[in-house]
Amino acid sequence: MAIDLTLPLLNSLALGSLYTLMALGLTITFSVTRIPNFAHAELVTVGGYVTAVLVNFMALPPHIALLAAFTASAILALSMDELVFKPLYKRGSRPLFLLVASIGVGLIVRYILFSLADATGNITIQTNVSVNPIMRFGRAYITTFHAIVIPATIAIVIALHILFHYTLMGKALRAISDNEDLARVSGIRIYRLRRVAWLIAGGVAGLAGGLWSISLIIDPNFGWDTLLRIFASSILGGLTSFWGTIIGGYIVGFAENIGIALLNTWFGINTAYRPLISFAIIVAVFLIRPRGFAGIDVRNIVSRLVVSRPRS
Amino acid sequence: MTANVLNMVALAGGDICSVATAEVRRNLAITSPPLAIGMFVASLALGAVVGGLFGYIASYPALRLKEDYLAITLIFIGEIGRIIARNEEGIACGLVGLTGVPNPFIWLGDPNLSLIAYTIMAIIIAVFIFIFLQKLSNSPFGRLLKSVRDDETAAMSLGKNVARARGWAMIVGSAIAAIAGVLKVFYAQGVFADDYIPLTTFVVLSMVILGGMANNRGVILGALIITLLDFLIAPSFFRLMGITIQFDITYIKYIITGLIIVLVLLFKPQGILPEKPTETPGLILAKKEDKLLSNKSSRKTK
Repeated sequence: MAIDLTLPLLNSLALGSLYTLMALGLTITFSVTRIPNFAHAELVTVGGYVTAVLVNFMALPPHIALLAAFTASAILALSMDELVFKPLYKRGSRPLFLLVASIGVGLIVRYILFSLADATGNITIQTNVSVNPIMRFGRAYITTFHAIVIPATIAIVIALHILFHYTLMGKALRAISDNEDLARVSGIRIYRLRRVAWLIAGGVAGLAGGLWSISLIIDPNFGWDTLLRIFASSILGGLTSFWGTIIGGYIVGFAENIGIALLNTWFGINTAYRPLISFAIIVAVFLIRPRGFAGIDVRNIVSRLVVSRPRS
Repeated sequence: MTANVLNMVALAGGDICSVATAEVRRNLAITSPPLAIGMFVASLALGAVVGGLFGYIASYPALRLKEDYLAITLIFIGEIGRIIARNEEGIACGLVGLTGVPNPFIWLGDPNLSLIAYTIMAIIIAVFIFIFLQKLSNSPFGRLLKSVRDDETAAMSLGKNVARARGWAMIVGSAIAAIAGVLKVFYAQGVFADDYIPLTTFVVLSMVILGGMANNRGVILGALIITLLDFLIAPSFFRLMGITIQFDITYIKYIITGLIIVLVLLFKPQGILPEKPTETPGLILAKKEDKLLSNKSSRKTK
């Protein structure tokens, strides 16, 4: 049966990019602090709300609003760590308790946001940016939204890659994620770098939320609803691998959009079951390879494929 | 039960309730006493079995991994369970939900009387489960769970099967959560999939953390305090105090839930009632000898 997959294809590219951005922050904080941060969802939501409020009510241009979203979420992330996670970590709490604490933090932020949104009558909100079609692609249109989101993701990924691999700070961050005690012994100031990690993670999450609010309606629960996809992407990267998370984000994007389109037309499965695909990914990764894409030696595989060895 | 178990139970609680309650939906329009109570008991048993099984299946992918991975799986399966219950007509009548689940004491005639009878029975069941859990946490199995909670590696090196211990903890915990779910359905006389959102789980979690994770009395205390708070955060109470609020008051409840979780973890990680050492025969003996020794030494110094 012929199905028109152009629309799901475009959607999965755009959403995959956004999932990637959101999941990168989660991966960064997990690898530096070992917290599976459930409050990450709220960083995304806050970013979306800041963008929407600034553009709609203050009439700021979108790029400045996105910058503000970056700052707001980064500051929120930093204060979460300083107020809650760092004291717990210093006391030697187990990851499970840090996880539970992050749930608590998430609840507080989410419902304060809910209260504010409800009191001002903005339970659902969308950034007022006109999204225009640029080009026809099959039955779907490539819009300005795609033209913003996909290049922005690529730019941020490249910037982060440069940060992590070509600066001393990035090297130190990677050292902490590999072995914290060793990094500390080597004279790396782990608390200073922890702050950097939270700032980056929160900022990127806020940016992703802001970009999301341009094309879709958001409510205070939106971060929580997306969290499953964020975790699925990050878990595909073993919660620690940078490129693994990026691949994971796109896999989740494509699997959800194209997968549910195919399942819907072939088996008549309700599209409300879309989150099940992400969950199935998590379960599959846990059962088959809990490390995800982390620890795959890409260079080795490539060199094996490319360089043909003489047979003895 | 140990903290490990309780955490998992709490996390899994929300979704298991929704599955267990699904078993109750066939019980409609019953007037004869044996049938009503029979139905109720059957739902309890079926709910416990299904809940236990579901808990095991839900936790299976992550049983062998670190505990935070298990928690991630369980939190998300709560959300997934709700999505399925919401969209599948067969489980809890989808979005519409199910109403008209009869009180098992409906044959008493007076609705107030049957409600009181039901409450008394619920309390009795709770007491039984409490006694069962106390016995369990003092049993070899309870100590195994405690050892897994405190140090997985040590437990493993002593030849304990950590994954199996966790699996059993999940089964027992989920079965109890399912019993609670059945009790709640018969009390509320209806099921709605959206009642069992992960938020319910987190409210339960805050009870457990507040009272003291590692002991059953603490959990009861926590549940009492949170339920009391629930009464205080009611619109009528606010109106009584002369405060008007522009938004939905349930938001305040969840903010307080989050605050309780964070503040207790920060300032009193043991909860209100901290864990006591298990009263094993060895410990009792050691205490006695300690007393004897101290008596002897005090005599000597005299």
